[in-house]
Amino acid sequence: MDDQPLLGGALRTRLGRVDGPGGLAGLAGWEAARRLAAEVEGEPRIQRLQTATAFGVYEGLLLGVMQGRRLYRVRPRQLIVATGAFEHPLVFQGNDLPGVFLGTGLQRLITLDGVRPGRAAVVVTNADHGWAVAQDLLAVGVEVAAVAEARPELPPAAEALAAAGVKCFAGATIHDARGRRHVEGALLVRLDAGGDPVAGSERLIACDLIAVSTTPEPAGALLAQADGRLGYDPALDAVVPQALASSVHAAGAVTGLSDLGFALLGGRLAGLEAASALGLGGGEASRMATLRAEVEAHRARLRRGLRVRQLTSVPSVGRKRFVCLCEDVTEKDLADAVREGFDHLETLKRYTTVTMGPCQGKMCHLPAIGVTARLTGRGMAETGTTTARPPVQPVPLGVLAGPHHEPVRRTPLHARHAALGATWMDMGAWKRPLLYTSVEAEVRAVREAVGVIDVSTLGKLEVVGREAAAFLEWIHPGRVADLAVGRIRYRVMCDDAGIILDDGTTARLGEDRFFVTTGTGSLEAVGQWLEWWLAGTGRCVHVADVTSAYAAVNLAGPKCREVLARLTDLDLSPGAFPYMAVREALVGGVPALLLRIGFVGELGYEIHAPAEYGAWLWDLLLDAGREHVIRPFGVEAQRVLRLEKLHLIPGHDTDALSNPLEADMAWAVKLDKPDFIGRRLLEAARARGLRQRLVGFELLDGVVPGEGDAVVADGRPIGRVTSSKWSPTLGRGIGMAWIPPELAQEGVEIRIRSAGRLTRGRVVVRPFYDPDGARLKS
Amino acid sequence: MWQLFRKTPMWRPRPFRDRYDVVIIGGGVHGLATAYYLGRAGVRDVCVLEKSYLGSGASGRNTAIIRSNYRTPEGVSFYDESVKLYERLAADLGYNLLFSQQGHLTLAHTDSAINGLRVRAEVNQLMGVESRLIWPEEIQRLVPALDLSPRPRYPVLAALYHPPGGIIRHDAVVWAYARGADRMGIAIHPFTEAVGIGTSNGQVTSVLTSRGEIRAGVVVNATAGFCSTVAKMVGLHLPIVTHPLQAFVTEPLKPFLDKVIVSATLHVYVSQTDRGELVIGSEIDPYSSYSSRSTLPFLEATAAHTLELFPCLRRVRVLRQWAGICDMTPDYSPILGEVPGLKGFILDVGWGTYGFKAGPVAGKRIAELIATGRTPELIKPFSLTRFYDDTLVGEKAAAAVSH
Repeated sequence: MDDQPLLGGALRTRLGRVDGPGGLAGLAGWEAARRLAAEVEGEPRIQRLQTATAFGVYEGLLLGVMQGRRLYRVRPRQLIVATGAFEHPLVFQGNDLPGVFLGTGLQRLITLDGVRPGRAAVVVTNADHGWAVAQDLLAVGVEVAAVAEARPELPPAAEALAAAGVKCFAGATIHDARGRRHVEGALLVRLDAGGDPVAGSERLIACDLIAVSTTPEPAGALLAQADGRLGYDPALDAVVPQALASSVHAAGAVTGLSDLGFALLGGRLAGLEAASALGLGGGEASRMATLRAEVEAHRARLRRGLRVRQLTSVPSVGRKRFVCLCEDVTEKDLADAVREGFDHLETLKRYTTVTMGPCQGKMCHLPAIGVTARLTGRGMAETGTTTARPPVQPVPLGVLAGPHHEPVRRTPLHARHAALGATWMDMGAWKRPLLYTSVEAEVRAVREAVGVIDVSTLGKLEVVGREAAAFLEWIHPGRVADLAVGRIRYRVMCDDAGIILDDGTTARLGEDRFFVTTGTGSLEAVGQWLEWWLAGTGRCVHVADVTSAYAAVNLAGPKCREVLARLTDLDLSPGAFPYMAVREALVGGVPALLLRIGFVGELGYEIHAPAEYGAWLWDLLLDAGREHVIRPFGVEAQRVLRLEKLHLIPGHDTDALSNPLEADMAWAVKLDKPDFIGRRLLEAARARGLRQRLVGFELLDGVVPGEGDAVVADGRPIGRVTSSKWSPTLGRGIGMAWIPPELAQEGVEIRIRSAGRLTRGRVVVRPFYDPDGARLKS
Repeated sequence: MWQLFRKTPMWRPRPFRDRYDVVIIGGGVHGLATAYYLGRAGVRDVCVLEKSYLGSGASGRNTAIIRSNYRTPEGVSFYDESVKLYERLAADLGYNLLFSQQGHLTLAHTDSAINGLRVRAEVNQLMGVESRLIWPEEIQRLVPALDLSPRPRYPVLAALYHPPGGIIRHDAVVWAYARGADRMGIAIHPFTEAVGIGTSNGQVTSVLTSRGEIRAGVVVNATAGFCSTVAKMVGLHLPIVTHPLQAFVTEPLKPFLDKVIVSATLHVYVSQTDRGELVIGSEIDPYSSYSSRSTLPFLEATAAHTLELFPCLRRVRVLRQWAGICDMTPDYSPILGEVPGLKGFILDVGWGTYGFKAGPVAGKRIAELIATGRTPELIKPFSLTRFYDDTLVGEKAAAAVSH
């Protein structure tokens, strides 16, 4: 993968002839690049990803790759990084003037864009590459007014330029760029052995272009992110990879040496090593060893031939000596910061924002190190580097986000609700009908005749296996193992701190088979909770999420038995199918699981049928109930109905500090049974006594407070309202609230702060409606 | 006049001595604030140890959000004092901290979230903290760029508006406290790692560091991310699980957002700094780890959630991502104060994802504890013993995203 539209890298921007090996010798750089690219393009087994930027390496060698608006996640087994090197700007007065360019930037303008970048250029360099830039400028008709070479001797490449009449200065560099709105000249200066300017050696050269061509700095960020170690190498005057992680290889200028022959040789070695690590051949061991030796010899030869002079800036003064061009950080800013004690590169970076701009330090990383090293009197190596955080290239949020994938879950009856004009609400990932007509009408239908609600969103788990009963017994504070087949029990589940996680029902379908329902939003958490406690135990228990396999409705109300009887042969008499029993039967010809339970406080059946038949069953039920004016009811009515019964909803009436003892569910906790999850803390809670209690209340002033409003005493919050509704059945406002235990007695008056005003309530501890459950059990 | 422009070091290297009255482990906002307030209380034979550069841990990795709209009365009073200290801090320390009390909005996308916010609004108002529920029309006026249409998967239904909340330049707070402490003669030793703590007869006696041993009668554990490993040096097991938390910044934009936006449902919070960068964070990663390495899935998910709120940011580019590590306690509240059975060992730990907000108040009250020998009322609810006698502080209930 390559971030450019065409393969070939920096070679593609070179006009000069290469002295590469074999068939490439004598070709112009761009021609050699084309030749090499054709070799890759002609190999059908190489998949190419062009204009694709690998912007980060993450744990486990995960690559983030951006191509246009597309994001790829690539997890290679072997990674070869050949990202090349950057030039970096020099720090001199006026280095932000238009007309100051990096040498490689000019080469791109010339070769890729066909632009003649100026009329007369001064080339400032401390590396051989600067001389190639000068040649390329000459080749497109730019007058090269001078080349200032910081190293004490001119390299061999200078001869050709000198022969063409170019003034070449050794041991010299730029002091400042002159010009008002654009470069008009460059003041060159000779450097003494210590790198200081020699007084009186200034020489002003007229030009409209300044090419800065410096020691290349490897683009090694991906290597660092892939657990490699980078460090400053004085022999190369660059931060180079010093150690690579296994499965990671580097080739080309990213290793610190820019040389075509070396890049080709190193690339071959990296490819063969990667292939051999994958067991895809790669050559015999002896051949690999030879190649490795060859690469090392080449590296040593190049290093011997290197003539390096570290150059970041010429010591001088001036307000326009920019180190970081993105963030407008000058050398003086850095000097001030160091004097203020920010002498460590990491604090200096945070204080001045050097390297923190949109180029992410690519341009200013090395100059910042160089300037800091000089200001603090520490070496480059000791000064260190900053962390190479991803992304290496800025990535648009839209690319990262991709198309929207937040799922919506709809029940099998969704279309029926839509046809009835339901108002929707979000519950977890689900859409549920909040209301069809009016709360009053829906509540009244359930209390007086019959209503039906879609409860397909309940989490449904089948827990199966020889040890299923023992496992569920251990997971729950209540009893499960002694549950008879065909019976149901209410379940509350606690975490290991005794905090309520979820509630629902457990129905025993067979000795080894349980049907467990969870709250709508808590299915994932409960499923994970069960798996967590099963993992590694070897228990013979299987948990299957069958939520979306079933459509489920709750048929409730005094007339519901008559309605259901029309659709099934099952004996529905209270003796044959009592409260808290479960049966499997055909309903309207559909195989269904019927649970006789009553969240809303009336005679009721929860009917689970295969999702495919959900809509069919719904239609049948509505049809069968017509005589009794059956009404679908939504979540709002359900919440009122259950509140009249003081049935709590975990997560709504409870929070991360609610235990079942304080939530008035002590009956669901059996501390006399063997160990279960949460036991220790529940025992402790019982021993220390209750600190708060969840109770019902009725309102005395007619104002229905908001859910979440505070219960107050003497101006301080002492509790909070969790549920609060107008009850059409009772004709007054009712609710549930957490209050201090001393107030939790029938008839005690409490004060609730609602919308800034106080309203009065009276504590009620028994259900408002049918407190003995006579209707439920009828 | 010359004095104004003369550059003097914020903190000076001081000789490394082998004895101090108080050794503070951790050179972040908590450790340095403690040092500063100790100095103010006249306790100046103090040193601060930092294993890397100052502010290199959580103090430099958080998203610099300040607020006090907590859920429990204990939490509200505590953080409210911190906000008030922050309001005066720039003047106290003589340093521009870029504290912008621009207002803080916690969004609700579900009816149960609205209820949770109402609980907080009520508790806040009763405790005298400005905080109220607001509805889409007002939200739109405050944050025009926010998508309040029904288009998003989870449309915005309401928000808890907390006007005193805001953002601050976190590094500056660290540096300014360091300077304040330094000016009172307190020694700050960066690049000095505590590797062991000596005790004798139930009393702390010394700290072993990478530069030698220091004798001290009082040792403060003001570390984050590694507070449980430091506590283990005295054989103390803290009820803490360590999780990474990630964030990223975008390239700078012109000012378009002057409120802190938090969405628990979408696990994201967004603010714009004075430099124009958007700072975007998430909740803690779901796994425990000491790794401060950032991940791609975080970046993808958080980008998607950000665009749910601000679709206009589709083309804005991410510049940097990073991770910090957070010490999570079971009740999402810190552990402050003395340790039963071990004299001289003071905890200022368990700061989870909310430590930066509390730097000033924790520093001040821990300093008060050391200087007077009495635990201030304000931090009593946060003692370590609450895990033994089960008197947890209920901030977890409000802390799905705790920014």
